[in-house]
Amino acid sequence: MSSILSVQNLNKSFGNKHVLHDVSFDLKKGHIVGLIGPNGAGKSTLMKTMLGLFNYDSGSVKIAGETVTPQKHESLSKVGALIEYPGIYPFLTGWDHLQLFADGDHQLIHIQKIISQLNMDSYIKRKAKGYSLGMKQKLGIALALVNFPDLVILDEPMNGLDPQATKDLRDLIISESQKGTTFLISSHILSELQRLAQDLLIIDEGSIVQQTTMHELLASQGKQTIMLMTSDDKKARELLKKAKFQTTPDPRVEVVAKDDETMPEVLRLLIEGGVDVLDVTRLEGNLESSLLEVLKQSRIKKRLAEEQAE
Amino acid sequence: MYTLVKQESFKLTKKVSTWISTGFLVGVEILFAFLSRIYPQTFVPANMFESLYFARPIIIFYMIAAAATIITMEFQYGTMKQVLYRRYSRGQILVSKWLAIFLYTLYWYVISTGVALLLKAMLFHHTLSIHQGAGDGMSIFTRGLAISAASFVSLWLLLSVVFLLANLFRNSAAAVSVGIIGYFAAYIVTQLLTILIQKWDWAKWNPVTMTLYPSMLARPGYYQPLLNMQGWQMLLGNLIYIALFLGIGYYVFNRRNV
Ligand SMILES: Nc1ncnc2c1ncn2[C@@H]1O[C@H](COP(=O)(O)OP(=O)(O)OP(=O)(O)O)[C@@H](O)[C@H]1O
Ligand SMILES: [Mg+2]
Repeated sequence: MSSILSVQNLNKSFGNKHVLHDVSFDLKKGHIVGLIGPNGAGKSTLMKTMLGLFNYDSGSVKIAGETVTPQKHESLSKVGALIEYPGIYPFLTGWDHLQLFADGDHQLIHIQKIISQLNMDSYIKRKAKGYSLGMKQKLGIALALVNFPDLVILDEPMNGLDPQATKDLRDLIISESQKGTTFLISSHILSELQRLAQDLLIIDEGSIVQQTTMHELLASQGKQTIMLMTSDDKKARELLKKAKFQTTPDPRVEVVAKDDETMPEVLRLLIEGGVDVLDVTRLEGNLESSLLEVLKQSRIKKRLAEEQAE
Repeated sequence: MYTLVKQESFKLTKKVSTWISTGFLVGVEILFAFLSRIYPQTFVPANMFESLYFARPIIIFYMIAAAATIITMEFQYGTMKQVLYRRYSRGQILVSKWLAIFLYTLYWYVISTGVALLLKAMLFHHTLSIHQGAGDGMSIFTRGLAISAASFVSLWLLLSVVFLLANLFRNSAAAVSVGIIGYFAAYIVTQLLTILIQKWDWAKWNPVTMTLYPSMLARPGYYQPLLNMQGWQMLLGNLIYIALFLGIGYYVFNRRNV
């Protein structure tokens, strides 16, 4: 079976500014894929190109096997999207918006379902010009999901959402993905993405730097950290420093574990030094530090390659 | 396509300005009908009826604004992306907007003609007959319809330019100003135009001449020799320019980055 979305050797420029370089990837059906990278990396540009909003120089974008171009893109009937910020008509109500963009069978049922899933009942019949930032954002997400499409593309969907709305959205994304919907989500809120995404596309300066799974990335970059609560943090830090353990600048006592031996060594050292250990936690590698590390490495590699080319 | 036109019309009906401007148009017609009843020497009832109680210029201004905003509104509210990334092609989206504006133009002409007939029946029941002769074998009613049809055509010439500019600049101010200037341009430069046309006959085929089509129907004896043109030539010229400007707008819209 062909993948729901396949991008091959995509190149895109604005004038003589080359923004996407030979981007290629496939999305697996039913997966939640995070698209991450620094500001200006080309995330929104990539998404817009996939949605037929931009012309591209070369390469191909296929949704369910059909090519997407700005002129022709019937396969977008299988796609829902929210790019950058929601487009809202101030003179229409939220309900009017959903009605306008609902498509296919069971429109009314779908509209009612998405409203209750995102908890929008209280204001959905009001004119959108009176909506708050988060209300508009939720309406934008509802518009992306109202047709319960096969592929959902969300650019910064958590922008401006309160904790409850963030949780509602997370639950909705997970339950829809279990039913087979594929999600491509870009976000700078990495802690949130870490809880959602299974696969990751890391993009920097318009190129895909790494395509991997969340698990692999965290494991490979997983510099595990041991966090300690002690009866005397100051003394503990001194002891660790003397014994040449690597600590972190964190105000809590944290030791970087080089191997499996580190934990018992640290505990022995502290107890023998007369410090009581109250609690010990192993911190998993997190997405933020892993991402920064990957980006650093890839930029170093790129500079080296450039220097060699000269 | 039917769905898209319905969606565009839905947006129009939900705008408060649509209903306010309808109220205003009806108000103006009523005002001029009463003026014509009270001061029949200044506001000659037959002429006033023929001019739909001053409705036509108002319709033209409304439609210039409506054609510009139906495009620029989507850029202004950031909704163009959402409108485009659906299964419909770019061409279908643009054509649906043209059709919605076409229907909207019809709406205005039907309303204004209906109100004019109603006012005539109420205020001039015994003093004015719509079958009264208006020269050239036409009654004031058929003459009124003919002028409406001609102004409809030349209005669309203006609208095709407005569509193109709204597309190019994404800004309704620019598109509306050029539309309104276009409306007055012909009257302002009529003299210059006639001098040019007397000198070089082919100069009559420029788009500004075409906007004089309804004026020519209203005063055929005056304009025909001046512009050296027949009614059918004017109609043809209008249609060709409309197709040309809409065509360029279509090309631009299909190729732009949103
Ligand atoms: N319409 C445009 N015209 C010219 N350049 C553009 C345009 N849109 C984006 N760019 C350029 O393309 C590059 C990628 O921009 P893009 O918006 O895709 O970044 P992003 O990864 O989404 O960043 P962010 O995290 O800030 O949203 C940037 O260098 C930007 O300046
Ligand atoms: Mg972006």
